[in-house]
Amino acid sequence: MMRALRHPSFLVGAVLSALIVALALVSLVWTPADPGRMNILARLRPPSAEFWLGTDQFGRDIASMLMVGARNALTVGLVAVGIGLVLGLALGLLAARADGTILDAAIMRLLDFVFAFPIVLSAILIVTLLGPGLVEAVVAIGLFNVPVFARLARGAALQVMRRDYIRAARLAGAGPARILLRHVVPNIAGLMIVQASVQFAVAILAEASLSYLGLGTQPPAPSWGRMLSDAQTFMARQPFLAIFPGAAIALAVLAFNLLGDGLRDLLDPRLRERGA
Amino acid sequence: MRDPVRHTVFQWGLFRGAFLAILGVAAGISASSPAAAQARDRLTLCQTLEPPILDPTAGAAAAIREVTYDNIFEGLVAFDRDGRIVPRLAERHEVSADGLTWRFFLRRDARFHDGAPFTAADVKFSFERALAPDSKNTQKWIFEPIAAIATPAPDRVEITLKRYTADFLEGLAWGDAVILSEASAARAATEPVGTGPYRFGRWMRGDRLVLERNPAWWGGTPPIREAILRFISDPQAQVAALLAGDCDAHTNIGAQEAVAQLRADPRLVVAIGRTEGETIVAMNNARPPLDDLRVRRAIAMAIDRNLVNEGAISGFGTPIGSHFSPNHPAYLDLTKETPFDPRAAKALLAEAGHPNGFTLALRLPPPAYARRGGEIVAAMLKEIGITARIEPMEWPQWLERVFRNKDYDLTIVAHVEPMDLNIYAREDYYFGYSSPAVKTALAAAKSARSEAERKAAFEAAQRQIAKDQVNVFLFMLPKITVARKGLEGLWPHSPIPAAPIRDLRWN
Repeated sequence: MMRALRHPSFLVGAVLSALIVALALVSLVWTPADPGRMNILARLRPPSAEFWLGTDQFGRDIASMLMVGARNALTVGLVAVGIGLVLGLALGLLAARADGTILDAAIMRLLDFVFAFPIVLSAILIVTLLGPGLVEAVVAIGLFNVPVFARLARGAALQVMRRDYIRAARLAGAGPARILLRHVVPNIAGLMIVQASVQFAVAILAEASLSYLGLGTQPPAPSWGRMLSDAQTFMARQPFLAIFPGAAIALAVLAFNLLGDGLRDLLDPRLRERGA
Repeated sequence: MRDPVRHTVFQWGLFRGAFLAILGVAAGISASSPAAAQARDRLTLCQTLEPPILDPTAGAAAAIREVTYDNIFEGLVAFDRDGRIVPRLAERHEVSADGLTWRFFLRRDARFHDGAPFTAADVKFSFERALAPDSKNTQKWIFEPIAAIATPAPDRVEITLKRYTADFLEGLAWGDAVILSEASAARAATEPVGTGPYRFGRWMRGDRLVLERNPAWWGGTPPIREAILRFISDPQAQVAALLAGDCDAHTNIGAQEAVAQLRADPRLVVAIGRTEGETIVAMNNARPPLDDLRVRRAIAMAIDRNLVNEGAISGFGTPIGSHFSPNHPAYLDLTKETPFDPRAAKALLAEAGHPNGFTLALRLPPPAYARRGGEIVAAMLKEIGITARIEPMEWPQWLERVFRNKDYDLTIVAHVEPMDLNIYAREDYYFGYSSPAVKTALAAAKSARSEAERKAAFEAAQRQIAKDQVNVFLFMLPKITVARKGLEGLWPHSPIPAAPIRDLRWN
């Protein structure tokens, strides 16, 4: 615990992430104003006591929109990483179990193929096929998280499965499913959590990019990426319109990356041994 | 974010130096550098939409006319910049006392770009092609009254009408009534051959289209030798291209909110004009619950068109209360007919059996007026309990789903053709509207013998359309032209979708 507090990137990442999560949670019950309420006569206002971060081109309260946008970003991150983690882990373990067989090769080459394309590009492809929308975007981002987790899970699982206690368990009559779930998964969990945190940041950025392109979250639901793209033509008149959502995206990505870095340092047993 | 601009200006300065040096060595060699765009007989004209094809007699897209009208193709008559009908391929015309026989005296010095002379046979071919059962012409009403076309001489055409038609000549001035030659008509979609002052050069789809001056044009030599048309649909990119000097002019920018920024730039001139674009929230009158007048009225009363105007296009639009342009003498101001009154709207919805509202699909094409207007309209409808699900689409998708297949509840679009009231008499139109009263009024306008009679008929139609609340009538779309200082002759208004290059010159 003390080690965690002394780790600067973990500390900064954790505090920032907690702040974003807190803002998102608060937005469920309270926002400074109704984020969907337009007041066209009060549009493009600078920050003030009434509108903390100013108003957008429709006179909506930017602070409230950013809070609801945080909820949106976190949901996307959670679901997309969830899809990637669950499917990736399953496929990775399956491949590890079938190590060296055609099944292993088939799974891994398929995943390599998916992995070969940058995440936003692949997501654009999927969204073009499925149609624009938040759910479609989340599915697209989630699917392209699968290879990341699968490769990691396979590699780590193979290492674990060579250990003596796994052999012992096998000799004791434990079935493959039991070995994977009881012995392998807990041993690679730390690694997966670290990766999840990093992928979380990637997912938030991907959703912002898709929404920026008009393929992600659809209006009127607030989204940081779309707020940024809407701000473009108004930037000369009201720079805050672009600065705040831009800063929100940058902060969130930074927060989850730092958190991931910190977690990796703290959870990696090799580093721990070296430190001890 | 100003840096890239300054950077470009700086580069351009270097370029100009280099260009002058080259010029000193080899005068007359044209180079495709930004500096060359400054040459006095070249021009880069930016437009919002790229045309899907280049044959205005086979497609509805306004972008086709913006490229071809009075540039590549000409009709017997045309609209000028003020919307007046002026002679083109017909030097003059006579009409019989009963209005049934039209005699057109054609120019003898006009030639197609492929060298073939223009004759009466081409007129007969073009109009019969438009009338044919397999015709792809999207304005068949122009030709429908024609009973027979005779060509007594190579420079004479006599058209007999089935009945008196007040707007026959007006129709012939539309881009849909231009003259094509039989030899080239089949290829007009990609290699248009007309009689106009500019001939088709080359077309790099997705980027630019080049028009070259036609040395054999009957009307003389227009100042611009080569015009590069570039298509930039993103409003922000339009502004950036103007600031960077990539466009010498843009015919109508979509970023109305950038007007102040562009006006502040000493290199540019901004002109705010009118279009014939009635911008409406179109409703599918054939689909429940929109088939109920009370529901349509409630929707109209929930929408404050002044706020939509302000929020979507920075207040540059002119509010309208029916589908009719204030530019026309028969215009009636019906904006007070359906007052903005959300409470009454809610009561009306309850009366129609929808106290808790319902959900509708609001399918939006790309322009900012539609996308931004759509968000505002959705927020206003939410106030009376109607959920409008926003679905943004690209133009081809919109044309296919909304316009052709009538698969929509609500949409927002500007109808840019002049005097397009007759769409309310079309059973097959995407509004799903049918009204004997409107049909009668529009038929009366068509057969009107005097201007007063025609005006009265148009007024009756406007009233009926407003009363039936076919659509929610928002505003007339402005035309915001931005040009580099020194470029003259751009049309300030848009009486029809067109951008004639023959009128342009560098001063």
